[in-house]
Amino acid sequence: MFDKLITESMGKSPWLFHINAGSCNGCDIELVAVLTPRYDAERLGYKLAGSPRQADIVVVTGPVTKQSLPRVLRAISQVPEPRCIVTMGSCPQSGNVFRGSYSVCGPLSKYVHVDVDVAGCTPKPEAVIEGLATATKILMEKRQKGGQK
Amino acid sequence: MSIIVDGLKYLAYILIFPGFLFCFLSGLLLCGIDRKLVARMQKRVGPPILQPFYDFFKLLGKETIVPVTANKTVFLIAPLVGLAAQVVLQLFIPVFSFNAFHGVADVIVILYLLLIPALSVIMGAAASGSPYSGVGLSREMVTILAVELPLVLVLLSVAKVVGNAIGTGLCFSLTDIVNYQLSHGSLITKLSMIPAAIAMLLIIPGETGGHPFDAAEAETEICEGMLAEYSGKPLAAYKLSHAVKLLTMTTLFVALFLGGIGGGIEQALMTSAIGGAFCFLIEIVILFLLCTVLVALCCSFVHAVTARLRIEQLFKYYWTVVTGLAVISLVMAWFGL
Repeated sequence: MFDKLITESMGKSPWLFHINAGSCNGCDIELVAVLTPRYDAERLGYKLAGSPRQADIVVVTGPVTKQSLPRVLRAISQVPEPRCIVTMGSCPQSGNVFRGSYSVCGPLSKYVHVDVDVAGCTPKPEAVIEGLATATKILMEKRQKGGQK
Repeated sequence: MSIIVDGLKYLAYILIFPGFLFCFLSGLLLCGIDRKLVARMQKRVGPPILQPFYDFFKLLGKETIVPVTANKTVFLIAPLVGLAAQVVLQLFIPVFSFNAFHGVADVIVILYLLLIPALSVIMGAAASGSPYSGVGLSREMVTILAVELPLVLVLLSVAKVVGNAIGTGLCFSLTDIVNYQLSHGSLITKLSMIPAAIAMLLIIPGETGGHPFDAAEAETEICEGMLAEYSGKPLAAYKLSHAVKLLTMTTLFVALFLGGIGGGIEQALMTSAIGGAFCFLIEIVILFLLCTVLVALCCSFVHAVTARLRIEQLFKYYWTVVTGLAVISLVMAWFGL
């Protein structure tokens, strides 16, 4: 009955869950900059959720180290469908300067389906917001296609 | 025949006016106004006022995950019990002179019903079997203990003042309290009630899990605490019952301390000769505006300027400052001020 309303709401209230997969903290700070007064992503409905079970979009930063890989996968698998995975910064996408290190297992796309990549070291807040907006659209499409499982 | 009419009337009460529909709309709207105000106070643009509605409908469309370690029945039923108790509570609080269920419940029943939503969250958290929920629920229990004592004292002092005036000693009936205010002016204008009103304003954020007193659901340190394992529809029920709690606590404040305003409105509308239904609509709007002002005062403003208290600081604060205010009020009421 509320199907259309739910799909529309899906695009207006995406909650983020942030996973640090061995990041240098640069992207983490930049993600916080997106949420704080200057760029205020809350005006678009974005909110940082405390628990992966309440999230819609998972934001992964860092080159996915050996230590963090099982934990990242476990946290992602706890996010209810429909969900979106966004990588932030060049590290989870390509390994960046950490590429080839014995302790790096990235890129993340080897292990899970990544919906949006936001490249940069670190990406600008504008780019992050654009990436999140794309992810939100994908979220709505996923809802329309698969509905609720 | 009259049974059917009465039945339909009560059904309308439960489903539409002080019941589900009203609670749903105005509770979430109040929550949205709160978020917007906090954002504006922090120099942000803030989410749209309808944001809680979007959040609610989005959560309805998400997958519901039940953890393996959880007790499934309790885990899924607890949020519904909490929501139902919250709406029942709203039915018993009079809106100025209008009271859906006349003389059925008094202040003591309201005190009991206020506990059920909090207990349902605790039950659900305990059933989820998550350690984060465990920490959260132990903190929630301390919060309930801390808030309950001053709340009882505030209600007792209100009962004493009205009881003194009517001549029954202690008056626990909410209808009588509101009727007394309709004819004698709001209780907040009495000297002895001012500390109690301030104490009640400080109780509202504690009871609703507002900002400095949200140790139980601290999202950054214990992953939302008791809600850590909830997703999808049960989480939507919790979010809704939290929003309705905001509405309930503020309407309770209006009924206890600002009831006299209703008398003023009725007199003003009586002279301007407007129909009864329209007059009632205006009363509802005014009630909602009063609730908004109260939320702005005791939730949004406090949220914008404070950081989170640790649980023992919270407990100490409630049992010294807030209880102190309530006791002052009670003593003054006993001496008939």
